[in-house]
Amino acid sequence: MVMDGIPLVMKYTFPAEDLYRPFWEGLKRGEVLGTRCKRCNTLYFPPQRDCPKCMGSDMEWVGVGKSGELMTYSIVEQKPQGFENYDKYTIGIVRTEKGVNLMCWVVGTPKVGAKVSLSSDGHRVLCEVKA
Amino acid sequence: MDRKVGIVGVGMSKFGRRNDVTVRELSWEAVKEAFEDSGLTQKDIQLTVIGSTAYRGTEIYPAPPVSEYCGLVGKSPLRVEAACATGSSAVFTAVNAIASGMVDIALVIGVDKMTEVDTATSLAIGGRGGNYYWEFHMYGTTFPTYYALYATRHMSLFGTTEEDMALAAVKAHKYASYNEKAHFRNKVTVEDVLKSRVISWPIKLLDSSPISDGAAAAILASEEKIRELKIDTPVWVRAMGYGSDTSYIAARGEWTGLNAAREAAYMAYKVSGYTPHDIEYATVHDCFTIAEIMAYEDLGFVEKGKGTALLREGQTEKDGKVAVNLFGGLKAKGHPLGATGVAMVYEITKQLREEAGPVQHSFKKYVALSHNVGGTGHYAFVGVYSR
Ligand SMILES: [Zn+2]
Repeated sequence: MVMDGIPLVMKYTFPAEDLYRPFWEGLKRGEVLGTRCKRCNTLYFPPQRDCPKCMGSDMEWVGVGKSGELMTYSIVEQKPQGFENYDKYTIGIVRTEKGVNLMCWVVGTPKVGAKVSLSSDGHRVLCEVKA
Repeated sequence: MDRKVGIVGVGMSKFGRRNDVTVRELSWEAVKEAFEDSGLTQKDIQLTVIGSTAYRGTEIYPAPPVSEYCGLVGKSPLRVEAACATGSSAVFTAVNAIASGMVDIALVIGVDKMTEVDTATSLAIGGRGGNYYWEFHMYGTTFPTYYALYATRHMSLFGTTEEDMALAAVKAHKYASYNEKAHFRNKVTVEDVLKSRVISWPIKLLDSSPISDGAAAAILASEEKIRELKIDTPVWVRAMGYGSDTSYIAARGEWTGLNAAREAAYMAYKVSGYTPHDIEYATVHDCFTIAEIMAYEDLGFVEKGKGTALLREGQTEKDGKVAVNLFGGLKAKGHPLGATGVAMVYEITKQLREEAGPVQHSFKKYVALSHNVGGTGHYAFVGVYSR
């Protein structure tokens, strides 16, 4: 009834490595960095090179916080392509003590409202639920 | 709106896993029905707007082959995209083209053939539905994950339970059983939903709309044209509101409702002059069961946190205070992304013309609303209609 179509294999390259190098270097030191516009002080996470608010591009890398509160989470059991080799993982949203909201993987038993500390496994931000 | 716009013909294909057709034949099923319904033909059409996301089909630029197949070459196939709200963005485009005076009659085709790729590929495309690098690439989000993040917070703040959410699925399947064009026509119980496989907790398989193929079509015209053609059963588009939100879900700062939907609803109520209490029938974007509960709240049918109560009391059943998704919703009727928003117009037109057979709702004021959300809450369109 159906036939095979010609496969479309999409291989991507993209410039994230250079653009976001300070972010990854920060993670190695256990710090999560965003960018702040030097002219109007707007803080961006995910980090931005440009500030659409004041049209400037003079940015500095700044820490967005080291601990926070787990706002919500979901445990991924049906994993997408590229994540087949992971055990099921928990994706959370954390609000840091500096008021920045970010996505991360949750380590430990998740609970909305739990206090967490931010860290990294070298590939992403983690949050560890405090006992 | 400068000129009043009415819906003069609608059509819809059978939704489901359509291995028997390509995107072209699938579109024609809906287009042919809309032509027959309106009494118009291709020569009457001045503008064709095609809503299709197309990433999951062999035909990734579907507008030219679809318009050729339907005999519409020369009728300007303009393709629009707004993820899961693609269909409504197509309706919105056509409504504005007519309201502005640019054209008098426009055809909208919403179509997607989503089952041409395997499920893993489909999940990987859906997981890119937010912000590729800062969400999918680093964290392996899937589309259900995004709505699951809302569900978890809604449960925590308002005491919503997995059983409550399951009720939305039970209702959707019950009504889809009457709809010959629905993807699923089987009934399900709360137990069935709770026992189904976990996809991205708390969302389970039966909390989720299926991956579907389908098409829907609508023909719209200006009031002058409708009088000239002596069409006596138009459904008037009173307003089309829109709203949007951040690509990065964490940046929204609130995860119990969709700001885009609230903005769209506010605009639609303001322009139409109607309030949530006037709405007697609604099609809401129940891509996951939690989405239906949030929609009741975002649309102002009930106050924040009380969506579950509306469902439990049966107020959104046929002949309830505001009947919702009596054709089975995205959840059971199916959710071919490009078709969904146009299929909402199909459903509302059938209901307001009292042609909905066993699921006909009883109207007093004949006022209805459509709510179509794109992405993880990135876009929303809310339409208000009357007879
Ligand atoms: Zn600035």
